Amino acid sequence: MEETIIPKTSTVLTALLRADFTTLWRNRRAVVMVFLVPIVILVSWKDLVAKMGAAFALSNSLTYGLIAIGLMGYTNSIARDRDKGIFQRLRVAPGPNWTIMISRIVVQLSMIALVTTAIFIVGYDYDKITLTPAGYALTYLTAIVGGAVYLALGQIIVGLIKNPETVNSTSRLVYFSFVIVGIFGGMGMLGKQIQEITQWSPYGTVKTILAAGMVPSSWTMDSTYALLATLGYTLVFATIGIKNFKWNTK
Amino acid sequence: MDNNQPESILKVSDLCVQYGTFKAVKEVSFDVRKGEIFGLLGPNGAGKTSTLSAIEGLIKYQSGTVIVDGHDAKEKPLYARAAMGVQLQSTSFQAELKVSEILQLFAGIYGIKLTNEKLSAILKDISLEDAAGKRFGQLSGGQQQRVSLVISTIHNPRLVLLDEPTTGLDPQSRRQLWERIEAIRERGHAVVLTTHSMEEAESVCDRIGIIDHGKVITIDTPQALIEKHRNDPEVIAVSRKGRVTLEDVFIALTGKTVRA
Repeated sequence: MEETIIPKTSTVLTALLRADFTTLWRNRRAVVMVFLVPIVILVSWKDLVAKMGAAFALSNSLTYGLIAIGLMGYTNSIARDRDKGIFQRLRVAPGPNWTIMISRIVVQLSMIALVTTAIFIVGYDYDKITLTPAGYALTYLTAIVGGAVYLALGQIIVGLIKNPETVNSTSRLVYFSFVIVGIFGGMGMLGKQIQEITQWSPYGTVKTILAAGMVPSSWTMDSTYALLATLGYTLVFATIGIKNFKWNTK
Repeated sequence: MDNNQPESILKVSDLCVQYGTFKAVKEVSFDVRKGEIFGLLGPNGAGKTSTLSAIEGLIKYQSGTVIVDGHDAKEKPLYARAAMGVQLQSTSFQAELKVSEILQLFAGIYGIKLTNEKLSAILKDISLEDAAGKRFGQLSGGQQQRVSLVISTIHNPRLVLLDEPTTGLDPQSRRQLWERIEAIRERGHAVVLTTHSMEEAESVCDRIGIIDHGKVITIDTPQALIEKHRNDPEVIAVSRKGRVTLEDVFIALTGKTVRA
């Protein structure tokens, strides 16, 4: 009997990453849309930078970017590929199943880093916003932590809903709910109670840690609680999403 | 085992697959030998795809054993999967990737180094040398099937599982695919295929297993099955033009009722 050789996990992961990054590159029009919303918000809030501070404007627009990546990019690509049977074809190969998802998540994490960089560039170019080196570093870190909440939320959507069209409409609905509640609720336009709820919602906690990360000297106990809440949301959402996730739609 | 029989590449014993309370596969047993094309036939919902999915590791089976090239699929799933090549019933690849990139991806995940020369040779072999830069979605049905089959054999597996590989193909593409499947057999590898085409099963398969309601009804060569059931009243009743075919035997064994 001939010896059966199984490929190294790193080889499998490299092949998957190469394919997933190529797919992302070929979908660059959709990627531009992910960049567009936070940048438009940042540009249109130019007047607010002077009133509310640079961290407020940057953290808000970055939060919308992170929501778009998690809910629109990740969720829809998973739903579409699952429906087409792409995952099943990959799963019959001799690689651990987790490599398929890790590759997808790595692509989204790089998108988070790219959106964060784009917002820094636009913020500097348009509003002359600069942060300290520690502020930049901590923002990248908090953006990854914050982005994970929305990826996990997206995982719940693809975990509970199989039809890709329904996933698409649900993720858009959740996305716009976050935008509306974030803008109006976060600014107190919907009342004090809603503002408080918004502050401790996945939208608010991410915005809080991003803003605190941008100005590390402003990090308070509330920022730490927001970080813990963000991690808690991620854990709960990811657990529900992974537990309910099916690799095929049949 | 009979010493004159070639070694088993796939051995399925008492396989049971259950979805909730529904038993889709009930104690299915069969083996597929080296250099053999084994056809798994059955009406819609008979349990063919569930049986294949259990072998492929896509679904968990409740009991029984699946041994692929000496590896227990439950205990050593990665080894079992490395020893088999799979073409699923409805396979699609990332629409954004070009044919050459899809081949590179699957070569990578099977741990095969694919040089440009080797890639060109593969594409030439399936008459798609001009399609390397095309996206999978731009190919015709026959071209897609050729790409799909070549991917399932890219790592030279000892066992190839093909779930309805000729569905939707024109006669030319179907014949060409049969030749490719027979070429896999010529290399001494084993093939398991499911099909609804009795003509295909009769022409291509060395042995056939008919499965219905999750159970294997019979296993034999196509000719032996026809001979064995030639004089059954049910077969005579469904045969047309006085000539008994594999389809007559199949319908007699599985019933005339159309399945959903």
